[in-house]
Amino acid sequence: MKSLLAFMKKEWMEQLRSGRLVLLGILFALFGIMNPAIAKLTPWLLERMADTLEGSGLALTGISVSALDSWMQFFKNIPMALTIFLLLESRIFTREYQSGTLVLALTKGLERYKVVISKTLLLVLLWSAGYGLCFGITYGYNAYFWGNAAAQNLLHALLCWWLFGVWTIALTALFSAGAQSNTGVLAGTGSVVLASYLIGMFPGAKEYMPTLLMDGNSLIYGSSDVQAYTLAMIITAVLCMLCFAASIPIFNKKQL
Amino acid sequence: MDMLHIRGLHKRFGDKEVLKGLNLSVPEHSVFGFIGKNGAGKTTTMKAVLGLLRTDDGEIMVGGEKVVYGQTSSNRFIGYLPDVPEFYPFMTAPEYLRFCGEITGGKRSENEKRSKELLELVGLGDETHRIRGFSRGMKQRLGIAQALLNRPRLLICDEPTSALDPVGRKEILDILLAVREQTTVLFSTHILSDVERICTDVAFLNDGVVSIQGKLSDVKSIYRSDEYLLEVERKEDIQGLMRAFRFMRQRADYVLAFHEKDHALFDVLRYVTEGRVSLSKLERVEPTLESLFMEVVEK
Ligand SMILES: Nc1ncnc2c1ncn2[C@@H]1O[C@H](COP(=O)(O)OP(=O)(O)OP(=O)(O)O)[C@@H](O)[C@H]1O
Ligand SMILES: [Mg+2]
Repeated sequence: MKSLLAFMKKEWMEQLRSGRLVLLGILFALFGIMNPAIAKLTPWLLERMADTLEGSGLALTGISVSALDSWMQFFKNIPMALTIFLLLESRIFTREYQSGTLVLALTKGLERYKVVISKTLLLVLLWSAGYGLCFGITYGYNAYFWGNAAAQNLLHALLCWWLFGVWTIALTALFSAGAQSNTGVLAGTGSVVLASYLIGMFPGAKEYMPTLLMDGNSLIYGSSDVQAYTLAMIITAVLCMLCFAASIPIFNKKQL
Repeated sequence: MDMLHIRGLHKRFGDKEVLKGLNLSVPEHSVFGFIGKNGAGKTTTMKAVLGLLRTDDGEIMVGGEKVVYGQTSSNRFIGYLPDVPEFYPFMTAPEYLRFCGEITGGKRSENEKRSKELLELVGLGDETHRIRGFSRGMKQRLGIAQALLNRPRLLICDEPTSALDPVGRKEILDILLAVREQTTVLFSTHILSDVERICTDVAFLNDGVVSIQGKLSDVKSIYRSDEYLLEVERKEDIQGLMRAFRFMRQRADYVLAFHEKDHALFDVLRYVTEGRVSLSKLERVEPTLESLFMEVVEK
């Protein structure tokens, strides 16, 4: 337990001193501000463009925005934030393979599974904090400008997306345990997510796929109900556990 | 009891067989020199001992416990200094030692005290910068400190002196010699003078197996050469001696060398007494590790 904490402390120190923590903070805060800002600015932007649009025969009348537009922006932009997050953090394992820094810690008797736990847990914590910051900011602005009442099933939609992020982290950990380089990690994670998305395009398959959880808009607009997501949530949670459970024996056999 | 025992170790990388049934036993409280040329497999052997490398065959016992690849429990006896030690560059030296101390367990205050002592010992006591800016020699010094931190029973150093200046080399050798009281030291090197300076035991690794191993003095006496050096006082005697003994070679103005297998020592001495040759010196050439090493490698 003590060695696990020591290793986590080291991971934290690395995030802090490499500046990645600040970067992530800025990233998620920016995305959080961007959502309501875009929603707020849309009417104004459209009005400014109205003259040219009128010239082309389009007439704009009575544009009104609500918290829903801002939340729609949120679910449209959060994939980008997650992608940047994963790109920034994808080297969390492979950096140590390439520099050889794990060798000394392991030869001091640190069990290998603690390395996997520390790094995965830290990623989940960072994702949760960043995601929390992002939606917290959006939520605050939305409440101030319009009130959040219009968005249905909001908490559920947020939870779904959070779980999707955790799944991508579990995939990152799994591929990091197997692959030697960053390219392998990104390619592996990317192709599994893509595969899930493509399979989800077949009728009837979508509700089993983790990628369904990305569709927060259907929830907040009320076009899907909460039950439709339950299966995908359970499957995703089980997949997270499986990925995590598999990454430990794979990492144990890794040549460092 | 043997601190480390290796039996029949095999390892191949692709089609290249690096270790071909290596046997090695390192007795407790020895300073063990592990000698071999570049690419002989010294680092490979050490990594196998630490469970960092999957081996193809053979058994490794550390302190009576079997080493299993990927598992690290036998490592609690070991302090390891890799050939190129890599540390977290964002930490300072004391922070790194604190991290190591927390991993191995033990009381915090005890660890703090010990790391301070060790940093002092390896000459990094006043270093406050992050490891990012350390030179290779400084990293090697920090490497020694971290290897000694948990008072290991077996200290494994992979070419500990390779990056050090002459003063640093002497300091590190002195440290290795000093810790001998508490631990067994196994170190690899190709600097033979280092071995002669501090080792009690040696093993030569050549062509995938240990070709000679044992106490340094025993190894030297087994391979004692039969070469003698003869120094005369008068130059004229050289000609006479060389005429009488065909295989004698002139080494210097007044010095001749011969092998016992060519000319028996007593025959030479009889000639010396009968011919009234005045000698200033007669000595048996002590084998150096260099000559031994060359012999092993060329065989
Ligand atoms: N990961 C690897 N893949 C392929 N070959 C390897 C690998 N590691 C070592 N080798 C080969 O094994 C042989 C032994 O290497 P090793 O590093 O053990 O030598 P060494 O005795 O430590 O040499 P040096 O004195 O230069 O440190 C070398 O010929 C090397 O090419
Ligand atoms: Mg080596």
